Amino acid sequence: MSGSTTSAPDRPLAGVLLLAALLLLAGCGAKEVVVAGRFPEPTMSKLPLTLGVWYDDAFRQHEFFDEAKGRAETDWLVRTGEAQVQLWDTLLAGMFERVVPMDARPAPEQMNPAVDAVLIPRVDELQYAIPAQTNIKVYEIWMRYAFELVTTQGETIADWTMTAYGKTPTAFLQSDEAAVNLAAVVALRDAGAHFATSFTRVPEVTAWMDALDAPTTMAAGPETPR
Amino acid sequence: MKLRALARLAPVLVGALLGTGCVTATVDEMVFNEPLEGVGDAGVVILGRRHASDYETEPDFIECIGKHIQRGDSSINVIGELEFLNALYPWFEPRTAPLRPADIDRLMAQPPVAEKLATLQTEYLVWVDGSTVQTNSAGSMTCGVGPGGAGCFGFGTWGNDSTYEATIWDFTNRAEVGRLNTSASGQSYMPAVVVPIPIIAPVQGTACDGLGDQLLKFLSSEH
Repeated sequence: MSGSTTSAPDRPLAGVLLLAALLLLAGCGAKEVVVAGRFPEPTMSKLPLTLGVWYDDAFRQHEFFDEAKGRAETDWLVRTGEAQVQLWDTLLAGMFERVVPMDARPAPEQMNPAVDAVLIPRVDELQYAIPAQTNIKVYEIWMRYAFELVTTQGETIADWTMTAYGKTPTAFLQSDEAAVNLAAVVALRDAGAHFATSFTRVPEVTAWMDALDAPTTMAAGPETPR
Repeated sequence: MKLRALARLAPVLVGALLGTGCVTATVDEMVFNEPLEGVGDAGVVILGRRHASDYETEPDFIECIGKHIQRGDSSINVIGELEFLNALYPWFEPRTAPLRPADIDRLMAQPPVAEKLATLQTEYLVWVDGSTVQTNSAGSMTCGVGPGGAGCFGFGTWGNDSTYEATIWDFTNRAEVGRLNTSASGQSYMPAVVVPIPIIAPVQGTACDGLGDQLLKFLSSEH
């Protein structure tokens, strides 16, 4: 659409041009999401254990960066670290009788509070998909966790992996960032649900709990076909 | 004075009438065990099924049905979806949600879950599964902006299809007591001569009303 222009560049026109330039520049920058959400405490019988927990720096500050592959795409930076710590702190406090944060990663010479075992979670992989990439009107986040359950001396009791998935449909007037955040929150909730209902079913964990004489059926939910 | 006011309102009224597209809706009902005196003060929770990979039952659709039921009978306590999911976390997440009424027994075996359900006074659980999709679209529209103003020209049309199924579980008897289906479809239009005029077919809203009315008949003694 064409429009008439004034002979001298007046202030409103300069403002419009500046705004247009800013909008164009904004389109070129990376999209950044600092995942934020609220995570409920689980409603379940607590396992009679004192669990230590150790989050290393990579976990506490976990972020995922995806570089744009073409001019039509945008760089994406998804920071999940803060939300991860928030979720796991809330979940573990509701699952175990006592949860104690460790001073350092368990090792033979390392002094740490006395606990039954120490859980060390790690995010091994994170993938995301937005409608611009898949042509499906759904935003998705997929994560693969790795867990280590160790003694305070650092000896492995169990190690296993677990996946989590979250999706959210395209919503009117919702930005890509808000939708990716929502998908990440759903994925984190799924991670919590998966962990809470499967922890006592990990064979090495079951064997260790049997040796401790702790009941293993308390946190086990209904068998799901998936 | 009244005539002048009516004349001023006329374009708005015409716009409002024109602004709604046509919708066709069908509702099927299969009820096995309807409560004789309604659910009274007991609670009803409506949850969306979200375990399919290619679609998701929209949370705003679930909210719409809940509001429709409460508008129809204010004595029915409709528990909010997120409130229920948070209160019973992690047992009703897409991965862990019970797929059969018999699975409720295993949940109730956990004292904290049984206590929470008793506190919420949940009598019936309604699972809603389905989604609204865009079926077709045609036309084109060009919009422009310049120092002199902005405007659009063209014509667009698209169709929407809603299909939802509601399954009613009785928490007390751990049984499925009813199943309802609703489908609605409609065509929306958007002509634009400088200003786009959307004529939207309220497809999802019609499906919500259809399902909400049927659920009201099931749950309320007043309907």
